[in-house]
Order: sequence, then C-alpha cells, then structure tokens
Amino acid sequence: MKICVDLKKCQLHGQCIIAAPEIFSFNDNGELKWIESPDEPLRKQAEDAADVCPEQAITIEQGS
Amino acid sequence: MTTQANVLYDDAPYLNVRDEGFSIRSVEVTNAREKSWFARTPYGIAVLRYADMQKLLRDPRLRQGAYAWPRLNGVTGLFASWWSRMLLSQEGADHARLRRLANPAFSPALVTALKPTFAKIAGELIDKFSGAGECEFVGEFAEPYATRVITTLLGLPDDEWQRLAQLASEMGLALGVTFKADVVRIDAATQKMFDYARSLIEERSAKELGDDFISILIKTNRENQEALSDEELYDMVVLAIFGGIDTTRNQLGLAMDVFLAHPEQWKLLGEKPELGRAAVEEVMRVRPTVTWVTREAVQDFEYNGVAIAKGTTLHLFGQAACSDPREFPDASFDITAVRKPHFGFGGGTHHCLGHFIARGDMSEALAILAHRLKRPRLNGEATWLPDSGNTGPNTLPIAFDRS
Repeated sequence: MKICVDLKKCQLHGQCIIAAPEIFSFNDNGELKWIESPDEPLRKQAEDAADVCPEQAITIEQGS
Repeated sequence: MTTQANVLYDDAPYLNVRDEGFSIRSVEVTNAREKSWFARTPYGIAVLRYADMQKLLRDPRLRQGAYAWPRLNGVTGLFASWWSRMLLSQEGADHARLRRLANPAFSPALVTALKPTFAKIAGELIDKFSGAGECEFVGEFAEPYATRVITTLLGLPDDEWQRLAQLASEMGLALGVTFKADVVRIDAATQKMFDYARSLIEERSAKELGDDFISILIKTNRENQEALSDEELYDMVVLAIFGGIDTTRNQLGLAMDVFLAHPEQWKLLGEKPELGRAAVEEVMRVRPTVTWVTREAVQDFEYNGVAIAKGTTLHLFGQAACSDPREFPDASFDITAVRKPHFGFGGGTHHCLGHFIARGDMSEALAILAHRLKRPRLNGEATWLPDSGNTGPNTLPIAFDRS
C-alpha cells in the first residue's frame, strides 16, 4: 500500500499520529512525516488514520 | 522576560473576559485585533488573529487548557471534577488511548450511513409545526433534533430525549461566564446525568453487547481495566451525551439566527441543498457556539517577541480570528465562498471528536429546513446564553411562510 497525504488539505492536527503512531510523526520543525509504503501489518493503523483525519487529507493507494 | 517583551506585553490591549457582558463580537475586540495579535485578560492572554491562532492551536508547547476552567472560575464540585478528568482534559498517552477507543464510533463512514436517519428526524420535527407558520426554533427543532441524533447514535430510547436535553442544557451553563453563579444547578444536573449513565451501563451490560458506542466501551472495560477504567467508562458516556447535545443545539440556533439576517442566503440554500455542508462551515466561521478555545503553556517560550511563561493561559478567540481581515478580506456571510478552515471545532490533538457527526447532522438539517421553511423571520423576542464562552439562543421564536 502507499499512503498519500494532501498537504494542501492537511492542517497538522496530528490526529493521524494518535491513530497510527507507527506511521505518522511530526519532526522537530512541526512538519508531518510518514512512512510512504508501510508493511501490510500496519494497514489497520493506516486506515484508522485516513478515517480519523478531520480534513480527510489521507488516502491509501493499493499495490506496492 | 526581556525588557522588549515587557514593553510589548504592557502595551497590548486589555479585555475583561470575566465580565458577563463581554463579547468576542464587540468593537472592543475588533479594535484590539487591529492593534495587536493578542490582548491581556484577567487571566492569561487572548489571541486575536487567524495566523497566530492557527499556529498556537497545535503548538506542542501548549496543552489543552479547558481542564483549568473550573479552577479559573473558582469552582469545585461534581461538574468540575468530571470536567477535569474527561477526554478533553487529558494529554499524552492517556488522551491518545481514550481517543483511539472513541474514534471508531464517530467515523465519517458511520455518518454517511446515518444521513437518512438525520433527514427522517428533521422531517418529523418540521411536520409538527410547519402548518402553523411559526415555531420556537430552539425548543421545537434545534434541541429535539440534536438530542434525538445522540439518542439514536447511542441506542437510547427516543422518549428519553427531553430529560437528557434538559440535563445537557443545565450542565452546559458551566461553559459560560456564569459558571460560578449557576454551580448548584449545574452539579445537580451532572449528578442526574451520572445516575442516568450508570443505569444505562447496567442495563446495557445485562443484555448481549452490540457494536454501538456504549457496548464497545463496556466490552473494553470488562476485558481490561487498564484500557478503560470504571471511572473512565462513566466519564466517557457522560461526555458522549453532554457533548453531542449541548453544542449542536446551540450551533443550530445560531445558524438560524445568522440566516434570519441573510434571507437571500437561506433562499439559495433552499434551492441548492448541496450547499448544506458549506452553510455549516460558513455559519461556524461567523457565529460558532464555541467562541474561543483555551490552551496552557507547559514550558516557558517566546512567541512573536512576547515571553509566555509556563502556566500562562492562552484564550484562542476563534470567532475573532475567523473574521480577521488579513485572512478574510471580505468576511461577509456567504455560503458559496471558498474559505480557509474555521476553528469552530478547535484543532490539533483535541480537535472535536464528534465533528463528522455534527457536520453531517447540521448539513442535513439546514438544507431540509431551508427547503421547507420559506422566508423565516424573527417572531418575538429571542433569549440568549451569555455571548461568550459557549453561546447560543435559549429561545428563538420564528415565523415563516406556510408551504
């Protein structure tokens, strides 16, 4: 899977970090960082993050 | 604190946010916003401009500040202790744990599935008064609608709505500037809400547990006290009932009040129900029920040359920020305008948990109302909660053309 974040929509609420702490994080400059192609066991976390984003800025593309 | 910061601080305008007559919509606040990005207040500072609020809402050097609201008002008691314990007041790992637990019950997919239910509830309520050509909008629509959405969501009996609405309304007085004066009433309502939550949990536990929010909480609590303690279970159920009813009722009342002043926008919404969502966003930009949110500094830091000491309260004035001419050159009410996001649901880690539901149910309600109630106008005198804190009309009599 591939995780895409629309940074124009993203408001840096950080809800994805709560839902999927193994995928998303803020760096020291407060910018959102994420693992673009996480392993399959993290799918649930990725989906939870996409679901919970208040701006609905996260999409998960299938494939490798 | 540097000398320069002191000068800046002392020169800033002063706003008495403790005064019952204080209003975020006042010229006083607008003038302050033009003079400075912040104002001094009886406790902490008020942030007035959009760009600063945007940054500070999610600044990791600040924590959610509403937990201190009872203390800042000199209030203790049942509401105060619940308020300081519940999800919104938690930080870090405990907040994340509770939030992850609650999230699935408020997902966007669930809201899409509930749209027909929202429409049905709205339709039934409007049917009761549409023939009369008038109604008291809060009592006959906003309150029963907001409450029945929550009773549906939590699987509560429909006939409980009036009792729960009353309790939520009385508890909600705590979020206004008259908290201290109303504390006896507030605590009595809080006690009844806890009694209700307790009996609800007992009743639900006796049956086979389903997939509803209450059942999920009970299951988690049974399986692992670390994941959700008994106290957290009760606190969460009370929050779900209270949080959903009080704010949505107030916000719908405010929406109607805004549209009464903008009949051409109401007409447009009636013709184009797909503008329902945009209408909700625009109403919440110009007239949010949550007029400000609070943060508290967890460390000393400097912002825009002003020294912010650890423990300082920052009132983030969402309503003032969302009419800031720097970001909204034409800030007039327009449901077709493309806008920057408003702060009516707060933001950052503590962004409103129930916002998908609130957005979904209010979009549906406003579109249906605009379609069915033509040319609404004020029909007598409205009564209001204090203008700051969590605000909205207590009563809003309207008349409209019979369809």
